[in-house]
Amino acid sequence: MTAGITVFAVSCTSKETGARALQKQQQLDRFLAEVERRALRIAEIAVRDRDEALDLVQDAMIKLVRSYGGRDSAEWAPLFYRILQNGVRDWHRRQAVRNRVMVWFTKAKPEDTDYDVVASAPDPIGRSPDEELQNSQAMQDMEIAVHELPRRQQEAFMLRTFEGLDVAGTAVAMGCSEGSVKTHYSRAVHALRDKLREHWR
Amino acid sequence: MNKTDETLLQQTKEAFDQSVDGLDAATLSRLNRGRQAALTEAAQPHRQWLRWIPATGVAAAVFLTVLTIQGPGDIEVISAPAADLELLLGEESIEMLEDLEFYSWLETQEDES
Repeated sequence: MTAGITVFAVSCTSKETGARALQKQQQLDRFLAEVERRALRIAEIAVRDRDEALDLVQDAMIKLVRSYGGRDSAEWAPLFYRILQNGVRDWHRRQAVRNRVMVWFTKAKPEDTDYDVVASAPDPIGRSPDEELQNSQAMQDMEIAVHELPRRQQEAFMLRTFEGLDVAGTAVAMGCSEGSVKTHYSRAVHALRDKLREHWR
Repeated sequence: MNKTDETLLQQTKEAFDQSVDGLDAATLSRLNRGRQAALTEAAQPHRQWLRWIPATGVAAAVFLTVLTIQGPGDIEVISAPAADLELLLGEESIEMLEDLEFYSWLETQEDES
């Protein structure tokens, strides 16, 4: 009788654990689906390469799920961006080393003349070609200006403005104090104002 | 923060949001696949030792390179007669190892005689 009760209790506990794990998995899926596109664009602005940005985002997803999946969901956003920013920093370090080595071996690449079917497809939102061009130019100016910011300013600006993290969340994501976030952010805004003043009115 | 800064930030955010909304289907599909792969991969047990495989491979490659460059001259090579190798590699050698004490005693007897 006692053994039967024990088996029933263990079975219930394992079912509850399984249900909880499934619920957590679904929560993580929703969270990642919500942030992935913005995260991709943020990484892309930082590294200026979509494929590399996709890899960085996927790595960040894996690390978040594996290491912090059990944490409270409110903590996920700063942690996810912290992992992503670390990945971006590592990518820049590796790139710097690779460039130093490869500068001796690389030849000038011929200009890419391939026709990109995806890039030339009609705009999915249905904007006119003029609007698209204007937006595309504005986005390009902004991307270059943000990319040229010093790294920490870039991180603070993108996390605060694009991802909408608050100062505390940005501090966690950047691994620094809230005061440093404010300083980096303020400097970034001033630098962007000077750079984009002529293009954006 | 003055009004110019606020306008600038608003415009910047709008441009960014538009670029996010305008991501093409191929990229969205890759993101989705990446997310599913991350969730699946992370659900599997993490095997720490797997991360040492590349490092071990590199270490072995470096060792072999050094060995090739320096040559066997710097390393003491112990030569074993072919008969010994045959003995060691043969199936009967395992049985012989079990009676090692007996063979040791036998050798001392032969020396004495």
